[in-house]
Amino acid sequence: MNQRNRQLGPETLGRLTLDTEPWLSCDDCFDQVDQYVERVFGRGPVGMPAMAAHLAGCPACAEEAGTLVLLAAEDAGTDPGPALDRLFGPVRR
Amino acid sequence: MTTLDPGSAPLSPAATVEGVVDWVEALSMPGPRQDDAHRQLHALMLRAARRQVQRMQPVLNGVGTQLVEEIANQAADEAMMTLLGKLGTFEGRSRFTTWAYKFAVLQAATAVRSVAWRDRDVHLDGLDLLAGDDPQPGQYAEASDLADAVRSALDSELSPHQRRIMVALVVDDVPIDVLAERLGTTRNALYKALHDARKRLRAHLRRTGHLDDIDTQAGIR
Repeated sequence: MNQRNRQLGPETLGRLTLDTEPWLSCDDCFDQVDQYVERVFGRGPVGMPAMAAHLAGCPACAEEAGTLVLLAAEDAGTDPGPALDRLFGPVRR
Repeated sequence: MTTLDPGSAPLSPAATVEGVVDWVEALSMPGPRQDDAHRQLHALMLRAARRQVQRMQPVLNGVGTQLVEEIANQAADEAMMTLLGKLGTFEGRSRFTTWAYKFAVLQAATAVRSVAWRDRDVHLDGLDLLAGDDPQPGQYAEASDLADAVRSALDSELSPHQRRIMVALVVDDVPIDVLAERLGTTRNALYKALHDARKRLRAHLRRTGHLDDIDTQAGIR
């Protein structure tokens, strides 16, 4: 069996050991992402910590949520920047 | 809330069925209004799919514009079928359009990743993990120590399955849906394995006193 070398930098170490509690599945993330995306456009607390944790730990779901933010921003005629910044919650960014 | 009035956030022109829109009702009642709603919904799906594909353009190196458009159109078609099958699950916790977009976004993203990885191997073999690239003098010892601690934890704390999943997803950046397809499993199952593996690593590294340093380096602390 081949042994392949990998380099582990600080970013990779961080992603390997990321705290993704509270638990949320990809299916549940999909079910809730529209609600979550509309919350990040507001000014108040976003809530839904499990969504923030999941998006921080799942690049695929995060990528899709980002597009949803862009689409919702285009519909509303607003800048998506602040909403994108709030997508992953306060601690992990 | 499925009804939107002109005072709420504006819809794109393609999304407007009437001045006051009730998507669920319009899509549910057979007749000309339903036909019109279907056309406008498909336009939304296509817009969302194209947006997702556009964002992922960098991973589609060498893929022609015709195939890119085919990906978007097929994703929109499939997303629309899925959405119509789940129309009764819309609970009004978001705008209908936001809820609808996610079906097309998911379909398009999955399709793009599949195309991007169709000719790439996914390795689930053993590996040696080294410290980070180009460490600065004085930093090498610490960086190497942390990498060694994580490597040791990967070997001692995880099952072989967890270790292979974690390395593929996090170190090799294999997209989760691509890996799921290759392994004949689901995105959910892989994310659960990853989540549990992270918990085990964190618990171990907390005991060995390395977790704070890793979090600090990663910018979490």
